[in-house]
Formats: sequence, structure tokens, C-alpha cells
Amino acid sequence: MRAMTTTTSRSPRRRTVVALAVVLIVIIAFVVRLVDIQVVNARDHVDDSLSMGLQNSRVEYASRGSIVDDNGVPLATSVNRYDVQIDPMLAAKGVTTRDDDGDETTTAWPDLATQIAAVTGQSAADVQKIVEDAVADDPDSRYAMIAKSVSTEQYRALVDLGLPFLSFPPQAGRMYPDGAVAGNLLGFVGSDGQALAGLESADNDCLASTNGKVVFQQSRDGVVLPGTEVVTQPAVDGGTLKLTIDRDLQWYLQQLIAEQVQNTGSLRGTITVVEAKTGKIRALAEYPTVDPNDPTATAPDDRGSRAFSSPFEPGSTFKALTTAIGLDSGSYTPQTTVTASGREVLGGDARVSDAFSHGPNVYTPTGVLIDSSNVGISKFAEKIPAQTRFDYLQKFGMGSVSSIGFPGESGGILHPVQDWDKQTFYNTAFGQGLSVTVPQLVGAYQTIANGGLKKPLSIVEGCTAADGTVTDVPSTEGTQVVSTDTAREVSLMLENVATQGELASKIAIPGYRIAIKTGTGEKVDENTGAYKPDAYFTTMIGFAPADDPQYVVAVNLDEPRTVKSSAATAPAFQKALTQVLKSYRVIPSGTTTPELPKFG
Amino acid sequence: MSAPQAIDLRVGQTDFEPDFPTPVRERRLTVVPATARRRAPRRLFGVVAVLGALTIVVVQMSLGILTTQSSFEISSLTQQQRDLTYQKQILSDESAGLSSPQYLAANAAALGMVIDESPTYLRLSDGAVIGSDKPADAASSVDAKGRGSVSNALISGVPLVTDPAASTTENGAATPAPASPAAPAPVEGAAPTTQSATPPPISDGLPTPATR
Repeated sequence: MRAMTTTTSRSPRRRTVVALAVVLIVIIAFVVRLVDIQVVNARDHVDDSLSMGLQNSRVEYASRGSIVDDNGVPLATSVNRYDVQIDPMLAAKGVTTRDDDGDETTTAWPDLATQIAAVTGQSAADVQKIVEDAVADDPDSRYAMIAKSVSTEQYRALVDLGLPFLSFPPQAGRMYPDGAVAGNLLGFVGSDGQALAGLESADNDCLASTNGKVVFQQSRDGVVLPGTEVVTQPAVDGGTLKLTIDRDLQWYLQQLIAEQVQNTGSLRGTITVVEAKTGKIRALAEYPTVDPNDPTATAPDDRGSRAFSSPFEPGSTFKALTTAIGLDSGSYTPQTTVTASGREVLGGDARVSDAFSHGPNVYTPTGVLIDSSNVGISKFAEKIPAQTRFDYLQKFGMGSVSSIGFPGESGGILHPVQDWDKQTFYNTAFGQGLSVTVPQLVGAYQTIANGGLKKPLSIVEGCTAADGTVTDVPSTEGTQVVSTDTAREVSLMLENVATQGELASKIAIPGYRIAIKTGTGEKVDENTGAYKPDAYFTTMIGFAPADDPQYVVAVNLDEPRTVKSSAATAPAFQKALTQVLKSYRVIPSGTTTPELPKFG
Repeated sequence: MSAPQAIDLRVGQTDFEPDFPTPVRERRLTVVPATARRRAPRRLFGVVAVLGALTIVVVQMSLGILTTQSSFEISSLTQQQRDLTYQKQILSDESAGLSSPQYLAANAAALGMVIDESPTYLRLSDGAVIGSDKPADAASSVDAKGRGSVSNALISGVPLVTDPAASTTENGAATPAPASPAAPAPVEGAAPTTQSATPPPISDGLPTPATR
């Protein structure tokens, strides 16, 4: 009786334990299998499903970043373009359609070619020939290119033709809404989307995008099953490149320099505007220049920026630098005088002459600048050790590439001081025997306009990546090249050039005090290596308002014909500076230039 | 007095009554209702389970139908979105370049607007006029319409809004004007020659409505 009671009470408990154990074993088995499927061999299973065609993927196109101006107005944007590819084997057979009655009609290839040509803008014969050539080469040919980079409108029109043998792989296109405005700086991209020139190429790391990949499952008719889309690689758009350029000012100056180049019969011209206190280039207009929408319409030599790539002999604009060096190194003072005639032999055998003949004048440094006397500045330069002058010129930025680092930028030519012969010693004082680029010269004048503090020139404000991080912000740290007092003294002398010089009436802007210096450099014939007769590179550079300089403006004309001196640049300079002062609402000076004595 | 006594006796009697017949009766009674109670829920569970299964099947089917339906809806909406994207692209391609400075300036020039040379400022504190203090010249400082020299392939041949007969000059930016004597270049310093039909400046102010 006692034994029976224990068996009856124990057996259900044992059964429960056994049942639970079985359930547990089964669960563990399932878990093991689950881990095996989902984790251990997951990759293989995914690959298996891929091979069965249940899964498909598509490229998620990311777009190249925009280039925008100082106000955020786009100068270069990405657009969608499409290539038109054809299957020549199918196309040559024509298209057979069946109407409601079951009657078949066949449209022959030549007729279809006409329809395609009408959309793409090619001639029907050309389109016809593409397929005929492809079939002639290989009767089983499945691929030929009809047209590259057609617009969305053309693409949709071609789709509407309903031709089964056409395919349209998307292409990244580039559009420049303002055309040639800043085209010299922006550069352009090739038809394959490769950056080829200018900032497009220099800042490609900022602008370039990374295409992504989306994997999804689909039904037999291609409908994506909901919830199966997985981004395996996210698409990353390119960053936005912000420039310091103001597009409206840039347009005005490009129009202005184009007219001036045409009026003076010059080969080309440049207008540059730099903010005096920051070194930011607000406009760099060149003519002729490239429309990045259609680079091939422009001669290959004119597709870049000559302002950066082609150094020139600056001529008399350099006299202001020699004067600043002399004053800052304590070699002479604004009251020091030299006696200079129109033509003299200096240092034994160096010949120096002025642009106009005159008897011995007792010049102050101001007088030398006003009359732009080569002999005068040579005599002042004699007071400065050559090494000192060379060191200062280097600090002004001569002989080295500017902080911008534009593609193809030249560093100009500044020979080492030990290579200077007697003639070079004098010539370098008035801007000959060396060469500079436009940004180098503008940078040097920015230094004088900004109290001797040279700011690194910049053309890019920064790069804003798709995730909002800002990179590529240029340095703003300046270097003190000459003292504030020296800069102010030279600035005042240059103001007197504007008021007492021969171009005073042509460049005056009512209400503003302006400082200028002209320069006429000789041109070296690239073929002979000698100076080209009767060909000059003229410059006018200055800043305003001179009492508190805000903007430096430089105008260059290459080989002007109607007027060969620097006077050729005067009308454009006056208009350019006026427009700059107007655009940036610069308040008029309210004072007049104090007159400095020309002669001692 | 007898009644309370009798109650007391009865109480005492019940206290000493034997209690074994009562548990036997109670066990019998408890077993029966227990079985009766078990049977009824089993049937109910069966019905509930079947109904539940059916509901699940129906819900799953309708969910399936809804999902399929919405996947087709999504598909058609995606198609619609794609079409609209194409439309947007086509429209933005068409309008590209219309906001460019050269097009705006040419349109403004066609209306007779000029770019003035020197700015004039009116100081609010004392009413002083600072600057050139002259009305705008009749001629613009640059000729955006007649000599448009900043090319833009996007708007070449596009008629001006303000002068449909004209378009921005398709200027070959690559070819600077040759310095041939046959083409007389304007003399330096002379007033720029403009071909644009710029009206003469109004001498007695802009016509304004009389207001009170």
C-alpha cells in the first residue's frame, strides 16, 4: 500500500520532467539551427537567394557638390543627363506592332532613325549610319552609342517613342547657370564627369560624391517587396564649395574688361578685386574666358586662368614696393631727395631712362612715384642693400606661389640676389628683370592697404560636407611685412599719384580718396627671348577709400593697341573701382588728400 | 426558564454528535460538480480556438491583401514621383540660366535701365549729399545688351523677356576683337558708344501719382 502511493505520486512528476527535457532539447536544437542559419552561414544563404534572382540591387546615385558664390548663389550644380545606347542587331530589324485587328505593321529602321534623330538633334543619316556601321562590323552587335549626355526632356521624348532597343544609363551632368561668369576660376568637368580644370579639379576632394547601393527583394514583375529594401552602402553627396567671389560683381567686371579689351585692341585683360582687410578675392575677371557649359567653344589657351598661370613684368607698379622697403628698412625717409635726369648711366655701366625726357629734378619719393621716374627710383634703391630688398620682396610674396595654390599657378620669377648684375639691381627697383602674377602683385598692394599686414589671399571660403562639417577653411593668419607707419606713408604717396599724376582726371571718383600706381612692363617674345618691340603689358592698381582702405583693384591689359601706355587701363579702372565701392556700399571718405611735395 | 435550558441542551448535543457521516457525503458532492465544471470549458475552448484560428487566417489574409495593395500603391506612387522628378528636371533645365546676371542685365538694358557710374549718398543725420551729386548718365557704364561679352550657352538664342525681338548677344568669348584699322575702336576717354535704345533721362522727376 505504501509502495503504490509513492509510484503513483512520482510517475507524473517524472513524466513532466521528461516532457520538459524533450521540449528543452528541441528548443536548443532549434536555437542552434537558427544561429547556424542566421549567423554562421548567413552569407552563404544570402548568396544562394541572390543566385535565385529573388534579390536585386540598384545604384543609389549621389550628386557632385555645388560651387556657390559668397552669397550662396550656385555657380556650378549637378544635373541628370542620360546616354542613349542602342542594340544595333534589334534596331536593324525595325519594330513590328500589332493593331487591334491583329494586323502587323513594321516600321523600318531608317524611319525609326529619323524619329530618334528628331529628338537628339542629330541628322537622320548619322543615326542610321551608327547602327549600319555596327551591324556591318558585327551582325550580332548588341551595343552602340547614339548620343551622350542628352537632357531629361530628350530622354523622356525618346522613352515615349517606345523603342525596345534603346537604353538610357544615367550620367552625372554639370551645369553652370551663369555661363562664363567666373568660368576662368570654376574650371569645368569632362563629359565623363571627370574634373578637368580650375576649382572643379583643385577641390575635387570636396566636391566628389560616392554612389551608394540598395539591395531589395522583388516579385517576378519587378515590384519591390515592401520592407525588403536595405541600404548596403549609403550614397554620400559631394560637399558644397563656397567661394569668396561675388557673382554680380564678377559679371560686371567681366563685361567691363571685355569691352575695354575690345576698345583698346588688346590681346586680353584682367580685373582683380581683393578685400584689403581679409585678402579675400571678391572678383577675378578675365577676357577672353571660358563658358564651362561649353568649354570647346573657347580656344584651349583661354580655358584656364592666365591671371594665375602667366606671370608678367610688373613695371612701375613695383616702385611702390621699393619705396616701402626703403622707408621700412630706414634707408631713407619721405623727406629724402635724389637728383635724377631723364636718362642716366648708373653704377658705372647700367643705363636707366625715364619714359619722358627731363632735366635734373630733385625728387622726393612721392615725386618719383608721381612722375614714375625710373632714374629716381634707381637712385633711391642704391640706398638699400640688395639683400634687404630681396628679403622684403620675398616677404611681399614675390617668387613663390600664392596661398591659393590654383591649378597651374605660377610663382613668377625672382632671381636670387647673387645673380643680380648691376643692370638687374636697378631694373628690379622699377619692376623689370623679374616677373609676377596678378595675385602676387595684388597681394603686395593688399599689404600696403592693410597697414603692412599681409593676409593670405583666398578664393575658397570653405567646403561644407553633406553631414554639415566644414573643412578647407583657409588660414587667415597674416604676416607683418612693413610697419603700419611705412604702409600709411606709402599709401599717402600713392594717393598723391592719384591726385597729382597725369591720369588724375580720368580716375577720380567723387567723394572718395583713392590711391593708385600704374605700370607698363615690356613683353618678352616667346620665340626670340628678346623684348618684343612696341608691345606692353599695362597695369593699374590701387585701393579705396585711401583713408581706410577696403578694396584693392587691379586692371591689366595685354598689348593694348589704341593707347599703349598704362592710360589704356584708366577708364576700366575707374569704372571697376566705382562699381566695387557701390556694390559694397563703401561710405565716401569725407576728407581730401593732403598734398605731399613732389620736389625737394 | 425552560426555553433557554433547551437551547443550551441542543447546543451541547450538537457539540457531542459523531462527525464521520458528514465527510463521506461532502466528498461525493464535490467530485460531481468538478467534472461538470471541466466539461463545459473544453467545448468553449474548442470553439474559441477554432474561431481564433479562423480570425487569424482572415486577419492574415486581409493583411496580406492590404500589404499587396499598398505595395502596388507605393509602386504607382513611386512611378508618379519619378515622373514628377523628370518634370522638375525638365523645368529646371529650361529655366537654367534665366537668373544669370548677363540675362538680367540685358533685360534691364532693354527696358532702358542704366548702370550708373558714381554713387551718391544722402546722410540722414544732416541731409548732406555725399558723392557725385549728379543724375545718372543716359549711357550705361557697360553695354550689357548691345555688347554682351560674357557668354552663356544656356541662354544663347533665348529671347529677352523685356524685348522678345532680341536675345543676349552670342559672343564668341574666345575671339577678341582684332586690332584691324578697318574696325575703328572707340577712342579712349570718349563717351562709350552704346547701341541700346536708352531713353533720355527724365528731367522733371519720375511721374508719380498724387497722394494725400
